Amino acid sequence: MPKKVVVIGGGIAGIQASLDLADMGYEVHLVEKTPSIGGRMAQLDKTFPTNDCSMCILSPKMIMCAGHENVTLHTYSEVEEVSGQFPHLKVKIKEKARFVNIDKCTGCGDCIAKCPVKVPDEFEQKLSKRKAIYLPFPQAVPRKVTIDGETCRMIKSGKCGVCKKVCQAGAIEFEQKDKLIEIDASAIVVATGFDLMDASALPQYGYGSCKDVVASLQFERILSASGPMGGHLVRPSDGSTPKKLAFIQCVGSRDEKMHKYCSSVCCMYATKESILAREHVPDIETTIFYMDMRAVGKGFQEFVQRAEKNYGVRYVRSRPAKVQPARGDKGVLVTYETRGLAGEQVSEEFDLLVLCPALLPSKGSKPLAKLLGLELDEDDFLKAKDMRHPVDSTRKGILVCGFASGPMDIPDSVAQASGVAARVAELLQGGG
Amino acid sequence: MARIGVFICHCGHNIAATVNVEKVVEFAKTLPDVVIADHNLYSCSEEGLGSIRKSIEKNKLDRIVVAACTPRTHEPLFRKTCEMAGVNKYLFEFVNIREHCSWIHTKEPDPATEKAKKLIAMGVAKAGLLEPQKETESSVIPTAVVIGGGLTGLTAAASLVAQGIDTHLVETSGRLGGILGDIEIIGPEFSRSKELLDQLVSELKGSSHAKIHLDTKVTAVSGFIGNFEVTIESKGKSEKVPAGAIILATGAKEFVPTGEYGYGSIPGVITQLEFERRLAKGDHPKRVAFIQCVGSRQPGREYCSRVCCNASLKNALRIVEAEPSSRVSIIHRDIMSYGTASERLYREASDKGVVFLRYGLERPANVTRKQKGLVVEVYDETIDENIDIDADLVVLATPMVSREDARDVGKLLKVPLDKYGFFLEAHVKLRPVEFATDGVFICGSARWPSSVSECIGQGLAAAAKASIPIRRGKVVVEAITCWADTDKCAACGSCVIACPYEAIEIVEDEDRRYAKVNEAQCKGCGTCVASCPNDAMQQRGFTSRQLSSMIDALIKNAMEET
Amino acid sequence: MAEFNPTILAFCCNWCSYAGADLAGVGRLQMPPNIHVIRVMCSASVKPEYVLKAISGGVDGVLVLGCHIGDCHYMTGNHRTAKRMPLVQKVLKEVGIDERRLRLDWVSASEGEKFQKVVTEFVGEIKNLGPNPMRGVKW
Repeated sequence: MPKKVVVIGGGIAGIQASLDLADMGYEVHLVEKTPSIGGRMAQLDKTFPTNDCSMCILSPKMIMCAGHENVTLHTYSEVEEVSGQFPHLKVKIKEKARFVNIDKCTGCGDCIAKCPVKVPDEFEQKLSKRKAIYLPFPQAVPRKVTIDGETCRMIKSGKCGVCKKVCQAGAIEFEQKDKLIEIDASAIVVATGFDLMDASALPQYGYGSCKDVVASLQFERILSASGPMGGHLVRPSDGSTPKKLAFIQCVGSRDEKMHKYCSSVCCMYATKESILAREHVPDIETTIFYMDMRAVGKGFQEFVQRAEKNYGVRYVRSRPAKVQPARGDKGVLVTYETRGLAGEQVSEEFDLLVLCPALLPSKGSKPLAKLLGLELDEDDFLKAKDMRHPVDSTRKGILVCGFASGPMDIPDSVAQASGVAARVAELLQGGG
Repeated sequence: MARIGVFICHCGHNIAATVNVEKVVEFAKTLPDVVIADHNLYSCSEEGLGSIRKSIEKNKLDRIVVAACTPRTHEPLFRKTCEMAGVNKYLFEFVNIREHCSWIHTKEPDPATEKAKKLIAMGVAKAGLLEPQKETESSVIPTAVVIGGGLTGLTAAASLVAQGIDTHLVETSGRLGGILGDIEIIGPEFSRSKELLDQLVSELKGSSHAKIHLDTKVTAVSGFIGNFEVTIESKGKSEKVPAGAIILATGAKEFVPTGEYGYGSIPGVITQLEFERRLAKGDHPKRVAFIQCVGSRQPGREYCSRVCCNASLKNALRIVEAEPSSRVSIIHRDIMSYGTASERLYREASDKGVVFLRYGLERPANVTRKQKGLVVEVYDETIDENIDIDADLVVLATPMVSREDARDVGKLLKVPLDKYGFFLEAHVKLRPVEFATDGVFICGSARWPSSVSECIGQGLAAAAKASIPIRRGKVVVEAITCWADTDKCAACGSCVIACPYEAIEIVEDEDRRYAKVNEAQCKGCGTCVASCPNDAMQQRGFTSRQLSSMIDALIKNAMEET
Repeated sequence: MAEFNPTILAFCCNWCSYAGADLAGVGRLQMPPNIHVIRVMCSASVKPEYVLKAISGGVDGVLVLGCHIGDCHYMTGNHRTAKRMPLVQKVLKEVGIDERRLRLDWVSASEGEKFQKVVTEFVGEIKNLGPNPMRGVKW
């Protein structure tokens, strides 16, 4: 009987851990709270420093994961309760009602076309709307629609039901209930990733008050060919093409009052987004306001240099004091101090401002840690057992990988995920 | 004569709303070797698959064509269905008439229908020429070899033996521990490296699965995944170790300056590792200046060595904690204390009075020896002023660089390196501990300067990857590999050069020379096929006859229209 | 005389351009129904002979689509395609066929729109060039 492992979190770390564990012969149950696996990587346009198309490199892994004979996906599901001790952990998983029979649904999309309800699209970072019945993104795995019970008219008030009428496969099931299943797992892997801090917590940066201030992940969606602007770099206020773009780094990171730590990847992704912006708008001028340019990985320094030399990116070492709307609430005015003892306060106008907010452990991670009895560090990331065991949590048999354990980029997340697979194998072999 | 069955999918009305499925079915019946043509509402449903299986059995079909959505999602499903009905899974061809037809020509149903007919004619032509395939299986030697006995190699080996896998750890020097042997206290927890290393070594020595070879070099490697032969040499004696997987963990070394900042001419100017050794002896100077980026982030060596800022922060804290009245400065260009713990160290160092000065590449600092000791002149960019720092010791934080033997090791294992001599992984984002060559893995600073916890994480990752083929006991290759038709092969070697995986070699057989593809290495790309001037190189499932027949079918059906 | 309706053959690589074509389909991006895709694992496996065979058989245009340089699933495959196809174009020119009837382009798996654009442009170009002069030639 193959031993079972529950992986919580279907982003790249969870997917990699699942693939390796499955390849090693374990029965993997991958639990993902959104309707599709893919995580943050699915939302990225390209990845640094190679500017690989993110979905192109992610999609094959998603498909392999879903198709692996040893992997069972539990999407739109959450872990409710865990009892017992390693190696006998009873994991209760709630498979939330999708109101769609996923064995019958073929992902054809007829229902989506006819649904009358429009709500802000989480995947598109609220830059556009989705329907109450939806696919989170075109390459979703599994490619099955989900009805959002909170916004669907039928679920809330018994009206409509158009999707059921048009579904030729008869897959709509409004009476569907949440399902509780129990897995006898030998080990658990936590790979719950990150959320962006809500930048409106720092009102001086204008997020929410200035139309042309967006968060980095929103900018990523704007750049994406399959995003809400069809890959056209336009600014929210008037849909025009920005010619002067700015980034502010460390919004809420390395901050005494907010989050003291460094989110690790923002210097690099801001550089990447600047390069991509130039590819969209050949005469765009970009300024990055930063503290330290943390380009520590393979090819990273060269990437930053290329941005400066070949893509006209201007790096200004300064932490802007405030952001205000420019005339007519189109564009922004960024006030900052120039370098040196003779530094002076300057206000510069930009057409569009991107904020790089602190990257926090995803909001589900704290309650999950409580449920699992895991310790968090002072920054609320999952604490490692000790130096010798960077991917072990503080509880035996529960492993951690990726951003859930600390800010890190994709290669480090993938390496940790494979590392977790080794640790599971060691533990189940009787190792410590 | 093949017996072809063609199954056309409505996909609800995704296909049927645009493509006239009934007409296409009638057309398919007229194609050469087609015994039956049928349609399904949803071919991928239980019902659809069931009806296909029944049809195969009833009509004794030996080639199956399904015209539906994209093969990229459901090909494995239909292949399995064929197998269940007793037909080799490689005798199946998928024609895409949804993503590539009905969905993109919704306003032109008649042309879309004609196009679907042509696409199916092409698929049927290819199907008629498909051959059953057997997936090559090769067995796997259940042993791993780890090259390099530093922290990363020890971690990888310890993980493998804890998983119950026989592992040989090969180390060129006479001791285990690598660079950590010189570093007493490691950050960010300020723990003793000796404890960590001792723990790892005892895990290895305590396992019957581990064999440690000190003072040993790898002198030859041959074979492929599952079947490597690693030749190791120690004190003149040679041993051949058969292995299923190899992990490279040879680490890196500290760059020793060639005179920068007075290194070598001014006493008291030392490298970080030299400083570590002094600290280990309890030699805590009162006034220390660290200079970062000595020999890195500059023309000729552009990269940031990732770990040096954190090393200086850790050592700076050690000094001020041992002696709060110490005067410590860190002269830097950027402080690379990424993440949580390191950023904490930066704050702590600053809170405890460590002075941070920022210099620019264009104006490096200058070290001179005066009566009172060393003086470091820095042009601090933050305040635009020259500052003089007095120091007893100037510690140069230099980058990690690749070992001199890195390229030789690369040649032995046939793995690539970047321009700095760091090993090049298969994919910088998604395959950080694998090489493009199957069965060989990379971890630690040999790949890129890495911190202690990163080295451990990567060592574990490499151990996980290496364990997979060993646990499976076999390596199975999808039967889309290439082979050379020996009647046509002129042994010119074009394919050998073209192959990105070095999977082809020219072999001699009696009095004939020809190209031979190692199927376990072949990835089925077909690059060799187009490089071959003689049409000798073929790819299973994509032979030139098969693809030519598709072109012929297109021409035949297109030209007949106009 | 009926409007010229070109017949175009396209070679798409499994990892990038075929997936990009799929994405165009998923996005319901409409395009002229003149192209017929042959799936290959890598654009580097497209032999010059296939192009010449198609053209000499009367096919009006051939599209070879691979991954962007640097993104090839098989590392260096598309470098070879990049060198090879211009040579095939030269051969076409030598025998009196407009070399624009062969087009090489790069489409990644996320570029559904680019696929639509390339296909639409190419079909337009071939329409302008007119029918392949080799149509109807009896060998």
